[in-house]
Amino acid sequence: MSGTILLHGQTSDPLITSCRMNAGPNAKYLKDFRVQLAKAPSAGEFRYKAQMSLWKNTKYRFTMCNAEDSKGKLILSIKDDTDKVVISSYDPKSGKIYPYVDFICNKSGIYNLSFDFTEGQQGSGVGVVSMVK
Amino acid sequence: MRRRLYYLLLLIVFLLSYCRNSSRNSGDFVFPEADSIPVGEAEKLSAEAIAEISKNISSPVEIANLLQLLEVPFSPDYLASGIDANKQTTAFEKAFTLGILGADLGYLNMYEKTGSSIDILSSIKKLAEGIRVGQFFDFETIKRLSLNKSNLDSLLYLSIDSYTKIDEYLRGNNRGQLSALMIIGVWVEAQYLATQVVKQYPDKMLKDRIGEQKIILNDLIMLASPYCSRDKEFSSLCKYMQDIKDKYREIRITYTLGEPVSIEKNGGLVVEQTETSNVEMTEEQLADIIEVTKNIRDELITNN
Repeated sequence: MSGTILLHGQTSDPLITSCRMNAGPNAKYLKDFRVQLAKAPSAGEFRYKAQMSLWKNTKYRFTMCNAEDSKGKLILSIKDDTDKVVISSYDPKSGKIYPYVDFICNKSGIYNLSFDFTEGQQGSGVGVVSMVK
Repeated sequence: MRRRLYYLLLLIVFLLSYCRNSSRNSGDFVFPEADSIPVGEAEKLSAEAIAEISKNISSPVEIANLLQLLEVPFSPDYLASGIDANKQTTAFEKAFTLGILGADLGYLNMYEKTGSSIDILSSIKKLAEGIRVGQFFDFETIKRLSLNKSNLDSLLYLSIDSYTKIDEYLRGNNRGQLSALMIIGVWVEAQYLATQVVKQYPDKMLKDRIGEQKIILNDLIMLASPYCSRDKEFSSLCKYMQDIKDKYREIRITYTLGEPVSIEKNGGLVVEQTETSNVEMTEEQLADIIEVTKNIRDELITNN
């Protein structure tokens, strides 16, 4: 048998708990992506990939958080189903990393989320998706 | 022989990829026609396909969020509160009903009607134990948070996380059919909620959300497809899902192009999408969807 058995009342991952708090008091939790990656041989395409449906007339907040022992910082890129980048929490020109991105969605569809740590470094983090007003 | 098998696998991977990614044609969203993979072959790939698909089915709390945005008041009439968990005898009924009640729980939580969710929580606990996944549903903590009405986000997190863990466990333990049922149950109930509300509150945004379900409908059907010939219950479910798909076939979803606009705000980034999706659905098509959704939902919970 595979799978992890949780006991009643077992506490959740503390990083997810604190990251949910970082999302703000009015954010309503939807989903989280727990990302743990070793150092990449070379920085390139984002390694952690997932899909998620996003719906028109909804404002989503993507909050990225890092574990203390993480060497790199968690960054997110989202592409739509035509492979067009709609969100990037990292601006390679300025080197700026945004801890959260609000996305006002006007096109319903299934989107491709990609996470990695800056410069392909080793890291542990979580991306929390919430709805905000 | 080995080479034939290789080409067959290649073809299946291509078909799955086509079904998942190439449903857009000339700017419109259309159902892929190559969605009927032979049952035996689909079963071989189901674990991987289900893992991917199950994660991107929309959450019922997003429908509830839209209703709140439209200032639609809460109504207990939409809930399946008449369901008696003790009357669900087969694993099929238990898993499907677990999904139905999960969506109801999301609706109650979003409207902070958490004091009245205790009965539903008890039924969820019983159903989860009935398919041996009760260990993932943190009943006591969710009940405490519900009664305290203190922290909505934590309540949403624990409720959604419990369902996610149940889903992952079932898929990881060769019980993917129950995971598929639970996910389809969640979707059916959220769709029922939206279609019942739209009768009283015929808002364009809500109508569009109902029409946009076409985007994920094929994924839901693919979730169930490996099990359609498993037994009579599954065969009926698959037929029902096809009935819904038939009602959606002529609904058009078109797209207008645009580049996202980004601004920095309070240390974060705000991105507004200017590209839009647009739903073209007649009142008659909507009426058909409302009817088929109600009929199927009622048929699947008739045990009560």
